[in-house]
Amino acid sequence: MGLSLRLFKKVDGFTLEVEWAIDEELAVLFGFSGAGKSMTLQMIAGLMTPDRGRIILGEEVLFDNQTGINLSPQDRSIGYVFQDLALFPHMTVWGNIAYGLRGPTRKAMAVKVKEMIEIFHLEGLEKKKPAAISGGQQQRVALARALIRQPRLLLLDEPFSALDSPLRAEMQDYLKTIKQDFKIPVILVTHDLSEAYSLADCLIIYSQGRISQVGSPREVWTNPIIREAKRVYRLSAEALSPERVKTD
Amino acid sequence: MRPLSKAASIFIMLLVFLGMISLQKVSAQEITISAAISLKEAFSEIAKHFEARQKEVRVLFNFGASGDLVRQIMAGAPVDVFASAGLKEMDELEQKGQVVSGSRANFAENTVVLITPQQSSLKIENLSDLTNKEVTRIAVGNPKTVPAGRYADQVLRNLKLYDTVKEKLILAENVRQVLDYVARGEVDAGLVYATDAATKAKELKKIVPVPEGSHQPVVYPIAAVKGGKNESLAKAFVSWVISPEGESILRRHGFKIITNKK
Amino acid sequence: MNTDLWFSLRLSLQVAFAATVLIVLFGVAAGYLLARKNFRGKELIDILFTLPLVLPPTVTGYYLIILFGRNGWIGKVLYTWTGWSIMFTWYAAVLASFVVALPLMIRTTRAAIESIDPHLIQASFTLGHSELETAWKVILPLARRGLLAGTVLSFARAMGEFGATLMVAGNIPGKTNTLPLTIYTLAGSGEWSQAQIAVLLLTLASAFFLFWANRTARKAF
Repeated sequence: MGLSLRLFKKVDGFTLEVEWAIDEELAVLFGFSGAGKSMTLQMIAGLMTPDRGRIILGEEVLFDNQTGINLSPQDRSIGYVFQDLALFPHMTVWGNIAYGLRGPTRKAMAVKVKEMIEIFHLEGLEKKKPAAISGGQQQRVALARALIRQPRLLLLDEPFSALDSPLRAEMQDYLKTIKQDFKIPVILVTHDLSEAYSLADCLIIYSQGRISQVGSPREVWTNPIIREAKRVYRLSAEALSPERVKTD
Repeated sequence: MRPLSKAASIFIMLLVFLGMISLQKVSAQEITISAAISLKEAFSEIAKHFEARQKEVRVLFNFGASGDLVRQIMAGAPVDVFASAGLKEMDELEQKGQVVSGSRANFAENTVVLITPQQSSLKIENLSDLTNKEVTRIAVGNPKTVPAGRYADQVLRNLKLYDTVKEKLILAENVRQVLDYVARGEVDAGLVYATDAATKAKELKKIVPVPEGSHQPVVYPIAAVKGGKNESLAKAFVSWVISPEGESILRRHGFKIITNKK
Repeated sequence: MNTDLWFSLRLSLQVAFAATVLIVLFGVAAGYLLARKNFRGKELIDILFTLPLVLPPTVTGYYLIILFGRNGWIGKVLYTWTGWSIMFTWYAAVLASFVVALPLMIRTTRAAIESIDPHLIQASFTLGHSELETAWKVILPLARRGLLAGTVLSFARAMGEFGATLMVAGNIPGKTNTLPLTIYTLAGSGEWSQAQIAVLLLTLASAFFLFWANRTARKAF
């Protein structure tokens, strides 16, 4: 059960024109800032409308401008984790996670929420507000909230960019677990090369509103965008080389 | 902007500025007259004749409810002549010592009438009809500041109608506002001066004089105000108002003339 | 304290309270729509709603007479059907206060809602909640402080309304003489000591409400 899309959108002088498809895998949208990656996520979720195109998730058509189909974000059954997490500041951890549920009974909902709290190791934090918990904990709440409705697709927009390295590694492991346990396609947007390479089954490389290349991590190793990213990475690695760090 | 056109525009602005200053001096003498609003048309005409006779004189008017006007003068408003629709206001001014002695004169009289709107379907022929159930709103001046309101109050009390109609009274800020409320149909009836009713006769259905003696006589006094910029000109205006020519203008506007001025 | 002053104070509070209830209902709805929806003529509507804020109250009073006077566009219909006119009643005072203070509520509401992180609203949508549900559970609770500040500000403005009120409700003792109008009459008839008491009352009340509004607003944005 995968996702296939074809999108065209022109806004403020920027043109996005992309087409790709994935299976039930973890796909990374990689590219530099402003390339159109976040825009793509917004359109998949139904938060932004393409000028033209088609989006199909599994068997269902989410959007098709030719037939006039355009499902509202409420009806698309897609989990979305925003870059700033967008946790409701006036609700508790419990309230945030439970937000997407509708019933059938309060008891049934409580069971589901407790389950998520266990999976994401948030025990003891139920009554706290987002401002009172750590960055990593907030991340996990955002994931729990997005996944509790058992969506058919999970979207993440640079979710870990604000975290420090150890936490990052931890969250990346979480994602791998999610992929296994929830068995849904996951699309992650990042401009961090090592993150892309450690998580991706498939890399979709964006460049100025267009697709530069689609393939496995190995296949895209020689892609010019990847090469540029590698160069930057190497430069920052060099800054930490033994020659530069004088020790007594 | 090129330097030459910049200089030119500054020069022109200076010219205009100087022109404006000099204009101030051209109009040689001015007097300000605070007068009861019921005198508006009559006094405007009197002033035109006065200006024509006097040369280089400008008359500025300040019309309003006599109570408001006297309050302004007592608060220091730069007024040269004061004419009110009742003796009470002039007495107040005189007590405060703000009247130029010897300049006070009573120059006209008026009568109070009951008026109804043209578009009203109600039958109001006389004052006692005001007690009818269908009559819900009657406009009168605010007795505290409007002489016409004071007289209306007297009329209603003397005819023993006050207690019945007091809930229906709508108080206006001056007598012309009463007239306006009636003309616009906002109220069912109102009490104004005969001279006011005449100015909007077309918009009124009925103009009924109130019974004689139901109110104090409406006497208009005029006087020069102490501390004005031009006392002699002020006294000249007062003389003009009580002169035969002034009298005939007042008569033409519906005012009754008093034979004994003091 | 003179019984007249006591009545005026009570009347002012009554008028301001009634006007504020209407202002909150209408103002929050209008502010919400202006903040969240785009439609044809949106900026024109915004200008129309803001006009009473920048026009002198006498101009507003004039328009109200044209609309609601016994011979006005709406007033005439009302009078023909019910034999009743709003002019010279305390309802007219409520109407005048409503019109002049409404822009304050609309602008505060709009600003409060526009300052909410749009991702929060989008997150609510992706979690299956409609615009209405999102408004109730996310937008309005988060805009709460701004809305309260707007309410208090509108109440204070309604208490102080004079120009338009004088024109449509008149200044009828025992019926429509709100505190500002009573002060006008007292000053106009030279009753300065009474006027002083009334002025003090109104000033203190207004200052208090302003203080309260500022405090709430500071915590809101």
